[in-house]
Amino acid sequence: MRNDSEIAREFLAHGRSEACPVIDMHGHYGPYRGIYFPKPWADGMLETMDRCGVACIVCSSHASLVDPARGNREMAEVARAHTGRFYAYCAINPNYPHVAEEEIRRYGEDGGFVGFKFHPSGHSYPITGPNYVPALEYANEHKLLLLSHSWGESQYDRPGLFGELAPKYPDVTFLMGHAGYGEWDSALAVAREHPNVYLELTAAHRVSGIITRMVEEVGSHKVVFGTDLPWFDPLYGIGAVCFSRISDQDRHNILHSNAERMLARFREPAQDGGCHT
Amino acid sequence: MDWFDCNCGFGVPAKPLGGVLRSAADLIGELEFCGVGEALIYHVAMEAESAQVGNRLACEETQDDPRLHPTWAVLPPQTEELGTVEEFLAGMRQHDVRALRAYPEEHRYRLDGLTFGSLLEELVPRRIPLMTGPHWQVIADLLSDFPELTLIIRNHGNWGDDRYFRPLIERYPRVHLDTSDYQQAEGVSDFVRRYGPDRLLYGSGAPTLQMGAALLSLAGADVPAEAREAIAGGNLRRLLSEVQP
Repeated sequence: MRNDSEIAREFLAHGRSEACPVIDMHGHYGPYRGIYFPKPWADGMLETMDRCGVACIVCSSHASLVDPARGNREMAEVARAHTGRFYAYCAINPNYPHVAEEEIRRYGEDGGFVGFKFHPSGHSYPITGPNYVPALEYANEHKLLLLSHSWGESQYDRPGLFGELAPKYPDVTFLMGHAGYGEWDSALAVAREHPNVYLELTAAHRVSGIITRMVEEVGSHKVVFGTDLPWFDPLYGIGAVCFSRISDQDRHNILHSNAERMLARFREPAQDGGCHT
Repeated sequence: MDWFDCNCGFGVPAKPLGGVLRSAADLIGELEFCGVGEALIYHVAMEAESAQVGNRLACEETQDDPRLHPTWAVLPPQTEELGTVEEFLAGMRQHDVRALRAYPEEHRYRLDGLTFGSLLEELVPRRIPLMTGPHWQVIADLLSDFPELTLIIRNHGNWGDDRYFRPLIERYPRVHLDTSDYQQAEGVSDFVRRYGPDRLLYGSGAPTLQMGAALLSLAGADVPAEAREAIAGGNLRRLLSEVQP
């Protein structure tokens, strides 16, 4: 093997890395339509995370994308039961704006929650629409994270729409989930132009060469790791990072350092003895 | 680990999603970077341009490197664009082509017994693997007519296809799965616990997919070491050694 990355060699030898623990910024929870998950619940996800050296994960439950009141409650319980390993996004369904406002009040101050999760394509509602404004304003006031699904050419969440929102809410940290999959030029330009927009790798990492492009054209300080777990094997995504033509410092930035910075004010020690960053 | 990639290629695509490996030399460079010893390859032109041109380029550009093993694309025998069935098989023997690929959507044909019966009747006893994408209804109908066909389903799994392929695995003993896009968390280990390792073949999906992703996924999978080695290369070597051209 000509790849001289120490991180890649450690992952290949042991399936995990002590030197480079991983933080997953894009997780889900529970079963979901259309796909078989061998391990959709917390204990199984933790087994996978421990095997792959994933220190912690930030999730929105699948239920929360359908019925936010039920799903956010479920996610809060998981985060409380697994302090330091699971963190939560409060999911907003813009099709139920009054519920959304209640959810913001309920979970805004909850210890396990780090911000909001939008899925504009899934809810057929544009990220720039008025029903998202209360969550955006709350996130801006409290300097929270916002992970939103994004997809190339989507009328609901294409990268350019993040470029419209980012300057209006400068204290929101926007994580562009899937990095605007397929509309790479636009996604990279938005992340490069706006200091509060980051590229999140779930699904995007499968595309050859895209991680190298992100690092060369935007910088590894603007890229974070994610897997959609329990969807995608963390090692598949980690492998994409390890075998991209980037430096080990870039790999550290993507796999944990950037996320550590984002989560610093929310982090708590893991209560289960799991791996740490 | 003896890595043998069942699904990678090179050539210039019309609309690349990600990286491009223009030549066999580019592919070799990527294989060496990732520590992969051999590969069953295709030329992009086989799918994007024409089977005739792509098949020729796949052989021409790999003839000097024993690490690269060419595949050919199939077309309906009725048009004889690739010769008669006998001529096509003779060409495979001449160029040591041991596996075929079908692109029913791109080349606009029906991958069924009506169209390909005369070729499939030769492939089955010769145990020549046919590779195709996850066209689940087409595959189910094809296997119903040719249950002993050696079939490799490639590029499945980005959206977890276990509910489609498990019935095929259980009914048809010579169905195999490429792992290049089988990203399902715990998918490989769950599959191996239920069916054993013999039906999975490591593939990278390069140049569209990031070489190294499926590789590390398998390297760290929660499976016994011998299962990992079989999937990494042993199973593909066995399949190719069974071919009676």
